[in-house]
Amino acid sequence: MFEELLDDVAQNSAFRHIHPGTKVLLGLGSLIICLVSPTPVVPLISGVILSLVLLIPVRISPIMYGELLIAPAIFTVMSVVVLLFLLGGGDVIWQFNPVLWINLTITTGSLSQSTLVFFRVFGCSISLFFIVLTTPVTDLFNGMKRIGIPIELIDLMMIIYRYIFIVHAQAVEIWQAQVMRLGYSRPREAIRSFSLLCGMLFISSWNAGEDLIRAMDCRCYDGIFPSLDLAEPVQMRSLIPVIAYLAGLGGVLIVMTTGGVAVP
Amino acid sequence: MKVILEARDVRYRYPRGMEAIKGISFHMRRGEKIALVGPNGAGKSTLLQMFNGMIRPTSGTMLFDNEPIRYDISSLRQLRKRVGYVLQNADRQIIAPTVYQDVAFGPVNLGYDDQAVREAVATALRHVGLVGFERRPPHQLSGGEKKRVAIAGVLAMDPDVLVFDEPTSGLDPSGSEDLMELLDELNHNGKTIVISTHDVELAYPWAERAILLLDGQIIREDVPDVAFGNTKYVRMAHLSVPTLLELSAELGKRGFMIPERKPRSVLDMVHIIENQLRKPYTPPAPGTITVCNVDERETSSLPGWLKARPGIAVGAMGTRAKQCAATECIALEFTYGVIDKCLLRALRGQDSLILTTGSMVGRVAARVEAYGKESGNAISVVNLNTTNPFPAPGHMDVEVSQNDLTSTKL
Repeated sequence: MFEELLDDVAQNSAFRHIHPGTKVLLGLGSLIICLVSPTPVVPLISGVILSLVLLIPVRISPIMYGELLIAPAIFTVMSVVVLLFLLGGGDVIWQFNPVLWINLTITTGSLSQSTLVFFRVFGCSISLFFIVLTTPVTDLFNGMKRIGIPIELIDLMMIIYRYIFIVHAQAVEIWQAQVMRLGYSRPREAIRSFSLLCGMLFISSWNAGEDLIRAMDCRCYDGIFPSLDLAEPVQMRSLIPVIAYLAGLGGVLIVMTTGGVAVP
Repeated sequence: MKVILEARDVRYRYPRGMEAIKGISFHMRRGEKIALVGPNGAGKSTLLQMFNGMIRPTSGTMLFDNEPIRYDISSLRQLRKRVGYVLQNADRQIIAPTVYQDVAFGPVNLGYDDQAVREAVATALRHVGLVGFERRPPHQLSGGEKKRVAIAGVLAMDPDVLVFDEPTSGLDPSGSEDLMELLDELNHNGKTIVISTHDVELAYPWAERAILLLDGQIIREDVPDVAFGNTKYVRMAHLSVPTLLELSAELGKRGFMIPERKPRSVLDMVHIIENQLRKPYTPPAPGTITVCNVDERETSSLPGWLKARPGIAVGAMGTRAKQCAATECIALEFTYGVIDKCLLRALRGQDSLILTTGSMVGRVAARVEAYGKESGNAISVVNLNTTNPFPAPGHMDVEVSQNDLTSTKL
């Protein structure tokens, strides 16, 4: 239900009325700045500010936001721990040598690199979450058309988007019917049940595809898929703060890299 | 009124399959409300799909506006613009990721300009009461809302005829009522509406004309009170008589005056009952209900027993009892609500036989006893399994009172 949940949150977000371009600019802009930053301070600032924006004006539930962050956090911590021992350079901070051929060392270089990676991932993930939690996929299709993505691809995306939920609901229904009749009780049974589920899903998707063509024919399909041209115009009220924020973040980045404060 | 759609002896056979439509002729006038009623597999959906050219009849002619339907692409587009089809499953009809895009689908493909598309969508959404839903994705909508989106998608093309396949399937009762009201409203705005359904309670008060379909053929086509009032046809089509109609028929059988125009609503019924209350009524001596447990007795002698009692009605409760009736070629008068229907007969002084199994025998006695206590009417239940041998018709009552220990004399 997670993908449905995320899209629902975006549909009901308080920033729904803001032009999707503005929101994507903010998300992508801060993502790029976090990515190029050689210092962990900039991604940290960006992540904290965007989180505050998501929690206060957008009113995302803190519990849900926390849950969302758990998955990337686990992956990042795992990778950072590996990086900590893998990278080198600088002075040795801590060494562990239980047997002759295993030598675990943390150096100042590996520590600063790992910290940078950790905060970059933190800043970038939150930039993406900002887009995901404020801009529904349906609002993005129009933008895709404007930036010149082939219309056939967008039509396909729209149909796929529409059918994800139908196929998902169907999969859940079949799965429930199987579980009710003790479908996944033993490992062998689980494999059999799962293959049956896939088969059933394939057949029903095939039928749904035929129905789709019929439904389109019923409504005089002539190769045109309408687009949602209802997005609000770009408002200076929201665009100016976004530009100011990105400029500020960029400024901090420049000051920190040229001012010699950055970790080499 | 002008005829808008007509079928002349149309037939349809599935590729390498059975014949789904076996020679149907009928016409539809502009502004009419028609209900196509029949059991599952009667060919309702197939016939409906012929109206907008989705299915081409194997033989016979479909006419729209007195012109035979042509099946080339541009003629079909014209036809589908004028005959809107709403599928049974709204999820299958909604193709776009947002309500606006879905409703705009028809107008955009018909080549309307942007302004006209916007207007068509706004009008359609206003009609179905979904203003403000433009940007919502369909998967967030309730069943009733999805149905309305599907209808709006068709309305946006401004068709003359609206075809609905099972419009209320999957809707809750209040959703169904709302939808039928919407159909009425659309009809008032000049649309011709045809629905397929097996819900007679819904179709009876709504339709101006009912077409009973069975096995690819029309078995009856008339105003609803005639079409649904004929128990023979209704039973043939695996349907049930609408409650209001059944009630008025029962009152009529008891000698009450039922007006020529049958009741179409509770209001009509109340009016009839209020009129009757002012007249005295003496009920006849009640009839007997005989119960037979088909599991416990040999049933081959039943047809003979029934033959000796002309005028007795037979009802069956449960699958085994119905199977037994089919094996013995016993015509069943009642197949649902059997005990109450037999009680109604008994109150008119007529006898009936209930075929049933196991513990249901006790349930019949209990229900009749409960009814007797409530109403003060004494109706006797005879258990055929304990009356042995079969009593001759003339001596039945005597035999019963002497032999039948389970008889419930109330």
